[in-house]
Amino acid sequence: MELIDRYLQAVKFWLPKAQSEDIIAELSEDIRSQIEEKEGELGRALNDSEMEAILKQVGPPAFVANRFLPQQYLIGPLLFPIYRLVLQIAVLGYLIPWVLTWIGLMTFGQNYRAEHYSGSLIRAVGSLGSSLWVAVFSTLGVVTIAFAVLERTQVLTGALQNWDPHKLPPVRDPNRIPRSSSITEFIVGVLFLIWWVATFSSQTVFRFTWIQITLAPVWRYFFWGFLFVSVVNVGLAAANLFHPHWTRLRAGIRLASDCAGSVLFCWLLKSNFLAGITAPNVAASKTLAITNAINWWDTKMVPAAIVMCVVIAASDVYRIIRIKETETRFTPGVAAAVL
Amino acid sequence: MVCDVHCMTHSDSMINAFENLRLEMRRGFLVLAVLASLRSEQYGYTLRKTLNDQAMEIDEGTLYPLLRRLESQGLLVSQWREEEKRNKRFYRLSPEGKKVLKQLLTEWDGMSLSLNEILKEQHHGAY
Repeated sequence: MELIDRYLQAVKFWLPKAQSEDIIAELSEDIRSQIEEKEGELGRALNDSEMEAILKQVGPPAFVANRFLPQQYLIGPLLFPIYRLVLQIAVLGYLIPWVLTWIGLMTFGQNYRAEHYSGSLIRAVGSLGSSLWVAVFSTLGVVTIAFAVLERTQVLTGALQNWDPHKLPPVRDPNRIPRSSSITEFIVGVLFLIWWVATFSSQTVFRFTWIQITLAPVWRYFFWGFLFVSVVNVGLAAANLFHPHWTRLRAGIRLASDCAGSVLFCWLLKSNFLAGITAPNVAASKTLAITNAINWWDTKMVPAAIVMCVVIAASDVYRIIRIKETETRFTPGVAAAVL
Repeated sequence: MVCDVHCMTHSDSMINAFENLRLEMRRGFLVLAVLASLRSEQYGYTLRKTLNDQAMEIDEGTLYPLLRRLESQGLLVSQWREEEKRNKRFYRLSPEGKKVLKQLLTEWDGMSLSLNEILKEQHHGAY
C-alpha cells in the first residue's frame, strides 16, 4: 500500500490546501475499493505491477489533481483573438525591420560584415538571431502581461461585450480600387510627366548658378524608358478611375509596367549615369571624387533596389492570382461543379 | 505508398473527430445520469460501478470533480459515514437537485423527441 500513499501524496501536492484532505480521502477510498474488488476476483493480494496498473489507469497525479481545480486562464476566449492579432503585428513590426537592417548592415557595413561574416553563412545568421530573439521575446512578454492585466481588470472585456453591429466595418472588396488612390496616382503621374519632359527631353547638361551637372549619354535610354512607363501608368490610373475594379488585363499591365520600371531603375543605378560635376570654386579632382562616389553608392544600392522590385512584382502577381480566384469562385458553372 | 499514408492519416483524423464528438455528447448526458442515479444514496465507487454497468463509463478523475461541482451548486448533499470499517462519502440529491432533475428530464424528453423527428425526416428524405 506504500505505492498508493506515495501516489496520493503526489496528487495532494497539486491540490489547494483547503480541500486537499477531503479530496484525497475520497480518492483514496475509491482506489482502495478498486483494489479490494480486484483482490476479491483474484482471491489473493495484488502484487506491485497490478497495483501500478490501477494507479496508471487513475492517471498522472498532476493531471488528476487538475481536474478538481477550477478552470484557469491567463487570457480568456474573448480577448484571445485580439491578443493573437496584436502579437502578430508586434512580431512582424520587430522581425521585418530587424531582418532588413541586418541585410543592410551585411551589404553595406564593411566593419559589421568583417565582424560577423567569416565565410560561414550560418554563423552570420546566428549573429542576427541572438539579438533578434531578445527583442522578440521582450515584445511577447510585454504584450502578454498587458493582456493578462486587461483580462484581470475586465476593462476591455466590458467594452467588447457592448458592441454595436452598425459600427462594424463595411464589407471589404480587395479587388476594388479606391477612387481616391486612382485620382492621386493620375495627378502625381501627370505632374511627373510634365516635369520629366520639360527637364530631360532636350538636354543632358544642367547648369545652375554655382554647379553644372552632366549626365552620361546612356541617360537618353532612361528618359524614353521612364517616359513610356509613366504614360502607361497615367493611362492605367485614368482607366481605374472610370472602372474602379481590377481586371486580369489591367493587373497584367500593372505587373508589366512595374517590371519594366524596376529593370530600368536597377539599370540606372548600375549605369554610372552621372558623367561629371563642375563647380567654379571647387577643384576638378574633388568634383571627380564626388561624381565617382555618387556612382559608387548608386551601384551599391542595386541589391536593395532588387529586393524592393521583387516585393512590388510579387504583390502584383498576388493581385492577379486573387482576381483569378475571385472570378473562379463567382463563376456559376464552377460553383455548381464544386457543390 | 503515398495513398497509404494519406488514407491512414485521413482515417485517423476521422476516428479522432468521432471520438471528440462522442465525448462532447456524453459530457451532457453524464450530468443527467449522475443526478438520476443519486435519487438513492450512493458513494463514489458504487456510483461509478452503477454507471459503468449501464455502459456510461466514467473515470474517477471526471466523476469526483463533477460530484463536487454539483454539490457546490446545491444539487447534491453529501455525508461522510463509516461503512465496512472504512470512511466513505455518501451522496444523494438535495430537494433543489430533485427539482432540477425533473426539469432536465422534461428538457431531455423534448430534445429526444425533436431529434427523433429530425432523424425521421432525414430518413424519408433519403429515399
